Amino acid sequence: MRSIEFSKRTTKEILRDPLSYIFCLGFPIIMLIIMTAVDRSIPKEAQMKIFKIQSLAPGMAIFGLTFVMLFTCIQLSKDRTTAFLTRLYASPMKSVDFIVGYTLPSVVLALLQITITYVCSFIVAAITGGDLKFVNVLLSVTCLLPSVLLYIGFGLLFGALLNDKAAPGICSIIITLSCMIGGIWMDVDLMGGGIKSFSHSLPFYHGVKAVRMAVSGDMGDASRSLLITLAYATVIYILAIVVMQGKMKKDVR
Amino acid sequence: MNEKYGIQIQNLRKEFGSKVAVNDININIKEGQLFSMLGVNGAGKTTTIRMLMGLSKPTSGDALVMGHSILTELSAVKQISNFSPQETSVAPNLTVRENLEFFAKIYGADKEKASKLVEEMIEKFSLQEVEKSKAKTLSGGWQRKLSIAMALISSPKVLFLDEPTLGLDVLARRELWSIIEKLKGNMTIVLTTHYMEEAEQLSDEIAIMVNGEIKAHGTLEEMKRITGKDNLEDAFVSIAEGSGKTEV
Repeated sequence: MRSIEFSKRTTKEILRDPLSYIFCLGFPIIMLIIMTAVDRSIPKEAQMKIFKIQSLAPGMAIFGLTFVMLFTCIQLSKDRTTAFLTRLYASPMKSVDFIVGYTLPSVVLALLQITITYVCSFIVAAITGGDLKFVNVLLSVTCLLPSVLLYIGFGLLFGALLNDKAAPGICSIIITLSCMIGGIWMDVDLMGGGIKSFSHSLPFYHGVKAVRMAVSGDMGDASRSLLITLAYATVIYILAIVVMQGKMKKDVR
Repeated sequence: MNEKYGIQIQNLRKEFGSKVAVNDININIKEGQLFSMLGVNGAGKTTTIRMLMGLSKPTSGDALVMGHSILTELSAVKQISNFSPQETSVAPNLTVRENLEFFAKIYGADKEKASKLVEEMIEKFSLQEVEKSKAKTLSGGWQRKLSIAMALISSPKVLFLDEPTLGLDVLARRELWSIIEKLKGNMTIVLTTHYMEEAEQLSDEIAIMVNGEIKAHGTLEEMKRITGKDNLEDAFVSIAEGSGKTEV
């Protein structure tokens, strides 16, 4: 009950911040439109597939999740730096209420963002004649869930560790890593060498790869990528909970 | 006659490393009283009330809040007490009504009861004109009123007010005094303040803390009598600058 009430409050706090709409919803959609325009200006001979709607839509869905991470992080760090959280520590709320209260709204926001990104992708596909199948997209939403957990975990971890000034900076590193070596904006497999190995050792590449495979309808070895992403996500989320609980205990000392 | 105590502090001590913030204090606060804790910055007032609310663990000693130990019955203590911190502590993007409702519910009120309590608080604190405004858009005075209303919505038996009028203009301060005055007798209130005028106006009893110790404890008149001063500010300076404990 308390965790649900706290979730409602956190949801309202996030949704009533206009920046949430600009970054979580507006920015990925604008990028989707821009990248579609870029794709149309690339000669067919170049055989560039990354900006085709089949690759672009999953990339955008993950890109949107990086902003969910940012807002989760900012919300938690902001609460920590004000007396509001201290006040709640003095209430009958338990640590599980805080964890659920920060996680649940981010999950809802992530699902909302994924839905809007895919709806826009279908519109773009209809206009440009792109090939986007509903069943595959639906399957890809399932494949996005480990990434949802991963980015929320990062958001909670940085939000618990950093203040609201430092948190966005650290989140931007994860956003950049996701975009560049995660393969949202570029084909990492084409690069090879150290960058490729580094990219493959992190969850971002695998998260994007699994979702792209689902959207393309060719699941291939997607399960391996999904498992890698899920393993990272579980570790990061558990680490975030441990750090959050540690911070709460430290605040009450 | 047996006196009922809202709070009984027993050898409460708090150390931060080698620094003793609260030094084995003992004090009984009568139920329904407004008890003011005065002291210069770093005297140990806030640390003491943080321990009473479960926000800080005592190094040793204990305290009973309405008979419940802060060491072994903290959940019960949290359920029957509430507090308004000195900093702005409202959910900024929630409206006044939503802030009140949220606090009513986390203290266990169901939807119907929460709604009734919210109406009561809006009425009591004359929040009607701002009830639909987001908390972040309110002036400092309104935010402080809301903060205290949020603390009262759980109908606490013990209320902690940490410098409730800090930074407010004189009119807003007087208005809050009048609200706090009306609460007296209904619950035990522990107030920390730097404003002597505030303590004079509101307190049933006063304690003066210096370097983590209670240097004096008694009514306003007793404070003035033992120091030979005719106002609390002079009595406070006399006690804070003097050495040794002043039993009243």
